[in-house]
Amino acid sequence: MIGGIEIFLAVILLTVLFSLTSSRIMSLIKLMALQGALVSLIPVLLELESKLHAGGLILFTVMLTIKALIIPGLLYFALTRMAIMREVEPLIGYHSSVAAGLGLILVAAYIARQLNIAVEGVQPLVLITAITTLGGGLFLMMSRSKALTQVIGYLMLDNGIYLMGTALTRETRSIYLVEFGVLLDLLVAVMIMGIILNNISKTFDDVDTLDLEQLKD
Amino acid sequence: MNVLLFGLFVILLGGVLPQAFVRRPGAALRLHTLLLAAGSLCGLVGLFQAWQSGVTQALSIPWLGFSLLLSLDSLAGFFLLPVFLIAPLTALYGYQYLDTTQHSLRPVAGCFFFNLLICAMALVPLAADMIAFVVAWELMSFASFILVLYDWEEPQSRRAAHIYLLFSQSGAFAVFAAFGLLFAATGSFVFSATAFAALPQGVKLAAFVLALLGFGSKAGLMPLHIWLPHAHPAAPSHVSALMSGVMIKLGVYGILRMYFLLGDHSPIFAWIILVLGIVSGILGVAYALAKHDIKRFLAYHSIENIGIILIGCGLGMLGLATDEPIMAVLGFTGGLLHVLNHAIYKSLLFFCAGAVHRATATRTIDILGGLMRRMPITGRSFLTGSAAISGLPPLNGFVSEFLIYYAAFLGLRQDGFNLMLVVAAIIALAMIGGLATACFTKATGIVFLGEPRSAQASKATEAPPAMRATMLILSVLCLCIGFFPGPFIQAAFAALRDLGPMASSLSLLPGDLLTKISRNLTLIAWLFAALFLGLSALRRRAYRNKSVERGPTWGCGFTQGNSRIQYTGSSYAMSTVNFFRPLVLSRSQCTGLAQKLLPASAEYSSKAEDLAEVGLQHLLSRPVLWLAQKLRWIQHGRIQSYIAYIVLTIIVVLLLA
Repeated sequence: MIGGIEIFLAVILLTVLFSLTSSRIMSLIKLMALQGALVSLIPVLLELESKLHAGGLILFTVMLTIKALIIPGLLYFALTRMAIMREVEPLIGYHSSVAAGLGLILVAAYIARQLNIAVEGVQPLVLITAITTLGGGLFLMMSRSKALTQVIGYLMLDNGIYLMGTALTRETRSIYLVEFGVLLDLLVAVMIMGIILNNISKTFDDVDTLDLEQLKD
Repeated sequence: MNVLLFGLFVILLGGVLPQAFVRRPGAALRLHTLLLAAGSLCGLVGLFQAWQSGVTQALSIPWLGFSLLLSLDSLAGFFLLPVFLIAPLTALYGYQYLDTTQHSLRPVAGCFFFNLLICAMALVPLAADMIAFVVAWELMSFASFILVLYDWEEPQSRRAAHIYLLFSQSGAFAVFAAFGLLFAATGSFVFSATAFAALPQGVKLAAFVLALLGFGSKAGLMPLHIWLPHAHPAAPSHVSALMSGVMIKLGVYGILRMYFLLGDHSPIFAWIILVLGIVSGILGVAYALAKHDIKRFLAYHSIENIGIILIGCGLGMLGLATDEPIMAVLGFTGGLLHVLNHAIYKSLLFFCAGAVHRATATRTIDILGGLMRRMPITGRSFLTGSAAISGLPPLNGFVSEFLIYYAAFLGLRQDGFNLMLVVAAIIALAMIGGLATACFTKATGIVFLGEPRSAQASKATEAPPAMRATMLILSVLCLCIGFFPGPFIQAAFAALRDLGPMASSLSLLPGDLLTKISRNLTLIAWLFAALFLGLSALRRRAYRNKSVERGPTWGCGFTQGNSRIQYTGSSYAMSTVNFFRPLVLSRSQCTGLAQKLLPASAEYSSKAEDLAEVGLQHLLSRPVLWLAQKLRWIQHGRIQSYIAYIVLTIIVVLLLA
């Protein structure tokens, strides 16, 4: 049986894979907006099967706004201020990145089974998707050198954590509260990254984090 | 106990309140000294009450889910005595010693850490469970670390503080390990002799050795003493006095407390302590002889005296192990009395060294000279302290060393390995005494006698009144214990009262032994005093009708003889230092001499390196640095790979789990 949630989860997986192949930062940002929207929809869909609180709905709306609009918007502005539109020299090539992403899904499935903590009533796919998203974010941070891509990787990591939280807890409000804390961190991180980006580009005429190597002692 | 804790509160207040007077450092320091003196007085009164009541008082304070247990028994009380005795004097000394004109903030902030250190030092002996002890111990290390860092602009101070932090923290680590071992074995944080008594001997020995490593590094036991000669010269003199006179004794307290808590009287403990005491004593004084910096020189003497104290305690432990109650009691009493004596005369010597440093802005012994005439009080106080530390009658050092000798001679009835160690202890004590006398004739002779060897020394003036007063008080105390040793021996003897295994030994002691000893000691002191006075009178009589005048020294062919041709400390000590050559790495360099027929300008320099320090460098620092250099490629500065490290770790953990 394929329900709404499965489709959503499949699309999230696709966004992860697609983000690993895309060389254009603009399309990455758009992907992130889509992924953010989908990820914040997942708990609502899970709840729809039982019931939905009014408070939960408000929190969900705020979440959707931040994840799908504000953060991608901030990233968009950051991008327009810089001249770089694409990741020129990824540390790991795009084809191998996709292959790694596919491998990641396998590993995620293995880990999800190994962890064996799926709560009753939650599709095992949620956990697998969560781990893949988390791993995909980490992979993006590891394999790309532009600072903006790193931020995007970090965002994806956060989406993974969020999904993981959804998979593990059924208590809607508490998970939103935890997630808000994470989101706050993330916003701060994006802003700090913006400052760092600014400084890197000012110092090195580029936003390549590999240049930071010169700073080690 | 309540009076004592109130005293501690007042002392803490004396650290906090002066902070309000940052703009008027003079007033702040006065307030600090006053409150500290009041608090210490309360502390002494509390100690006296506890001593009179003769009951161990305990108190439990709940804190963060633990209950901190404080208890005041006889041993703790005895170690609190130097804290409350020396602390107000150091503060009074610091009041005029600290320079308040240039930095007003620093002395006032220093007050806080100074009083924090005193409170922590008082809490260490009071602590009766592991948590309370650890808190007090770490507080003590931290406060003293900040005080060593007092002159933080000087790279030497920073280096000294760094070394001190390293040693105090690794020492604390060893102490924690010992406590962890005991906690794992008994399941309770409380220091309880009955609970520890049931432990297997292996656990006891392991815990004791670990604790010895930690407490020994605080006490300055060879070869864990490396921090001491660095930290003492770096700290301001009154802080050095407090650290050397009082703080390092708490290391000895830790060792003794651990020994009595474990309640195991196998001879192995006595052997360890005796051997370490002998090594520290002899090497400490040998290194001291080779040092040119007066405070570093005193620091090595602290190591030597810790050696003497441990020889006393080791003899006491040997007495316990072999059922010789008199030897046990005399050994421990001598060791404990030496703790008090050393606190008094070492503070006195550091005060004098500080006064000299303040007057001449140098600590190098070899460029001083002629200060006895320029600083009469300081010079005579230093002479008193020197005689006391050398263990000469009629001063206090002699009293405690005599008790230790007595214990050692009683130990000659032992056989086998014990006998060898006892004989070694006697020889070591004699050697230490002789070498210490050599050291202090060098220091007193070069610094205070003769002619000034430099402009700074000739311009020196006497220390201000508060500093003179503290030096005089301590000198009088030294003489007092020397002439009337009775009550002090009784006090050290009473410190053993609450220690379980000692109680039975005490009852076996002939009742009039201690009174007889103190009576004889008093007699000796008066005899020496009479001899001294008689000889002085004779000298005066011999010189009465002769005029003393100053004239040029016989030139030995040097017609331009000046004060720099005088004997120096280095040359005085050279032959003895050379005797210890394999252990004291002394190196001298001489350039410019005997190259041409007519000598040009020549230079000579000598320095003695600490074997333990060089050893540590070769065996620990260099391999670690080498390994770190080899592993440097891990730190390459690429963020991406750092993230990869994290991911790899997570994956490994997840897969293993």
